[in-house]
Amino acid sequence: MRKALLVALACTTLAGCGSGIGPRASEAQQGDGENTIKLAEFPDRPYWGDTHLHTDISVDAFGFGVRLGPEDALKFARGEKVVATTGLDAQLDRPLDFLVISDHSDAMGATRRLYDAPRLLVGDPTLRRWHDMMHESPEQSQRAVAELITAAANNQIPEALRDPVQQAKATRDLWTNHVALLDRYNEPGKFTAFAGFEWSLMPDGNNLHRVVMFRDGSAKTGQVVPFPGLDMKVEQLWDYMEAYEKNTGGHVLAIPHNSNLSNGLMFEMTAPGGVPMTAEFAKRRAGHEPVVEATQIKGDSETHPLLSPNDEFAGFGVAGWELGNLPLTRKSTPDMLPGSYVRSALLRGLTLEQQLGVNPYAFGLIGSTDSHTALSTGDEANFFGKHTGVEPRPGRAMEPQNLGTREGRYGWHYLAGGYAAAWARGNTRAEIFDAFKRRETYATTGPRMVLRLFAGFDFTASDWDGDWVRTGYTRGVPMGGDLIDTGKAPVFLISALKDPDGANLDRMQVVKGWIDANGEAQEKIYDVAWSDMDGKRARVAGKIPAVGDTVDRANASYTNTIGAAQLRATWTDPDYRSGQRAFYYVRLIEIPTPRWVLFDAKRFGLKLPEEVIEASVAQERAYSSPVWLRPAAKAGTGKT
Amino acid sequence: MIRGWLREPLVHFLLAGAAIYVLIGWFGNPYGPTDRTIVIDAGRKAEIAAGFERMMGRAPTDSELDGLVKRWLREEVLYREGLRLGLDADDPVVRRRLATKMDELAAASAETAGVSDATLENWLETHPERFVDGGTVSLDQAWYASEETARAALASGRVVGNPISLPRSVEAMPRAEMREVFGLQFAEELAKLAPAPDWQGPIPSGFGWHLVRLRARDVGSVPPLAEIRQQVEADWRSETIVERRERAYRVLRDAYSVRQP
Repeated sequence: MRKALLVALACTTLAGCGSGIGPRASEAQQGDGENTIKLAEFPDRPYWGDTHLHTDISVDAFGFGVRLGPEDALKFARGEKVVATTGLDAQLDRPLDFLVISDHSDAMGATRRLYDAPRLLVGDPTLRRWHDMMHESPEQSQRAVAELITAAANNQIPEALRDPVQQAKATRDLWTNHVALLDRYNEPGKFTAFAGFEWSLMPDGNNLHRVVMFRDGSAKTGQVVPFPGLDMKVEQLWDYMEAYEKNTGGHVLAIPHNSNLSNGLMFEMTAPGGVPMTAEFAKRRAGHEPVVEATQIKGDSETHPLLSPNDEFAGFGVAGWELGNLPLTRKSTPDMLPGSYVRSALLRGLTLEQQLGVNPYAFGLIGSTDSHTALSTGDEANFFGKHTGVEPRPGRAMEPQNLGTREGRYGWHYLAGGYAAAWARGNTRAEIFDAFKRRETYATTGPRMVLRLFAGFDFTASDWDGDWVRTGYTRGVPMGGDLIDTGKAPVFLISALKDPDGANLDRMQVVKGWIDANGEAQEKIYDVAWSDMDGKRARVAGKIPAVGDTVDRANASYTNTIGAAQLRATWTDPDYRSGQRAFYYVRLIEIPTPRWVLFDAKRFGLKLPEEVIEASVAQERAYSSPVWLRPAAKAGTGKT
Repeated sequence: MIRGWLREPLVHFLLAGAAIYVLIGWFGNPYGPTDRTIVIDAGRKAEIAAGFERMMGRAPTDSELDGLVKRWLREEVLYREGLRLGLDADDPVVRRRLATKMDELAAASAETAGVSDATLENWLETHPERFVDGGTVSLDQAWYASEETARAALASGRVVGNPISLPRSVEAMPRAEMREVFGLQFAEELAKLAPAPDWQGPIPSGFGWHLVRLRARDVGSVPPLAEIRQQVEADWRSETIVERRERAYRVLRDAYSVRQP
């Protein structure tokens, strides 16, 4: 009897025992969702999701204290109420349409196993110390994980935690259960659950992380296990992805993120290690990495004020993060910036395309959270923090962060995170994945504004009067598309609706990047529509008056008495030159609103320093994927 | 009746507890402060080896097993001496670990138990609000930037609206989607209108003002179990786990009297 009880006790301490049992997923839920629901003729609405969420099987998230797993994450994302690790009720105002749970592949489940392991089996002295710290208190547990991340950045992870053969075996059971769980929550037409993981390459602490996202159900994803990233090369990830596609007939893509913490390595002009980039390398990169996560809790990567000195809206979500790499073991210098931000990367892509005939950085844009609480909270009024140590509590805004402690990164530098919008014909794995693949996506810093654009050569303002969506698709390309130069200036139909439950819109801008006649990369911002544009805010000396600011700092509130509910533009590039390589993306900017820090101050009665209060009012925004204008083949100087 | 009782996890839980109690009474507490015999039999060694294999993914070599057994013995000796000295009493880690294990023991059977249709039917009947589909609406709408222009349009009988990138007409749109597209305020205001063939309103939304022709509204219903069995089962299971933990706790808790002077 005692033995039976011991076995029962032992069983409850092991990942895998008891989980994975439950109702079975139907046939439609198990696959990629093709032929399961009726699809719209054209993508008819943006579907909202988070492609970057960690749960208790991430080695760091568990150590930070999270005790919610993938099932809680799925329930929360589809709108149900769950109890957060620290005991608060958590629920989204509006459910998400899709979710990629992206737990770290390195040592997946290992902290959970380490925590659950009988102490006597933990032989490595470092691991044994972390084991004890995790059991001691939440604070000690967070300290253990900070040590672990630094160790990872310095390549000093104990062998027992990272041996790939061991890890693959340990991960196998966990992954098999996990992909079966995802199928059970995947409901074509209602909610899409993607299999995925985070691949955390981090040479010297420079962030080269990718989220890997699968299109398929468990029959295919169950044939592989997540691929470890530490100490790898990005080409090895692409090898893994190609092998997956070849062996299973499935599809997979990778999403780089936090280029802002890469110290210039995410978007280099060369291949890794300074060797010249080949066309082959560029082709593989562009093929496997069609979208980039441009904004998330750990800062915004659109552009930096030093890169875009003439852009008055540059610098959103840059403070704190710009100081250095992920664990702040190495500081950033200005020469690193072009390789760390997406606008400069898009420009580099044009230059490389001219040289190689292939653009390695022709990517679309999305936002996501990178939350480590199993809770995808992108809303300022409902922010559950980067990790469990900073779930809502009075001290979290002003404390130094766990990464780069006392180096100048504070709680208030965290953004509430972003979301990904995908234009699709229906809510299935296939439809949303394919939208990512063709880059028909956009990033938001949290609000759900509806942003749509079409580019062509013969659009006119009267196209708005008819079925302009059909017109857009049949006579042009949507966001993420390519236009081949015909000798005429491209024309854009751009439509923006405010978040129906959120703030009004300040303005809509087109960001153009191009290579000029001297081969120099250039960028320019065009204001194409804004609120009250023919009235009080008519241009004065070429500049648009600021929209104003209704934010009541003390009450964390604002009013929609300024700004517009919707903006539309029919815009023709006034600076078009025949044969020019260019990209165009839309940046949509809301009126000023309070950030999560002000909601915290009100809720907990905090007294914040003036500079923190002023940094806690922001103009949230959306970034569309670009449209590229490419020279007709003979006009190119490359070897296409 | 008896069969039902036998399947009841709470009964398993209590029986297991009673059995331990009896065994301890019979043989003395195996870890009791007075017991100075440690038996390392084949079963114990197999357990240690299995633990190693779970962590490392392979069986231990003979010398590794030897080392593990020595380490186990060392820990066992110190563990018993620790108990003898009462060191477990005020250790928060030990406390939390044991409490967690008791909780998981109570929940384990609910995680794996099969469940009958009758149980789920009953669950569905007693918790209909969790499974009701939200219903649909069919409507036409015309948007106006201001309330006055909307009212004037309604009075004139010519309802055209200002241009906006919102659907002019929707057919049997799920209400959850309607709320997503038109926003919360619109959804709440729409709920106050009754379906009618004529234009009504204006009602406010996050975008401005709308005249609405609410052609049809289906308030939604609870689908039959066959259609949503999986969802009902998942809900029943997660709820039951929590409930069994709580019930198991109450039984134990009731045996204590707690005073807070």
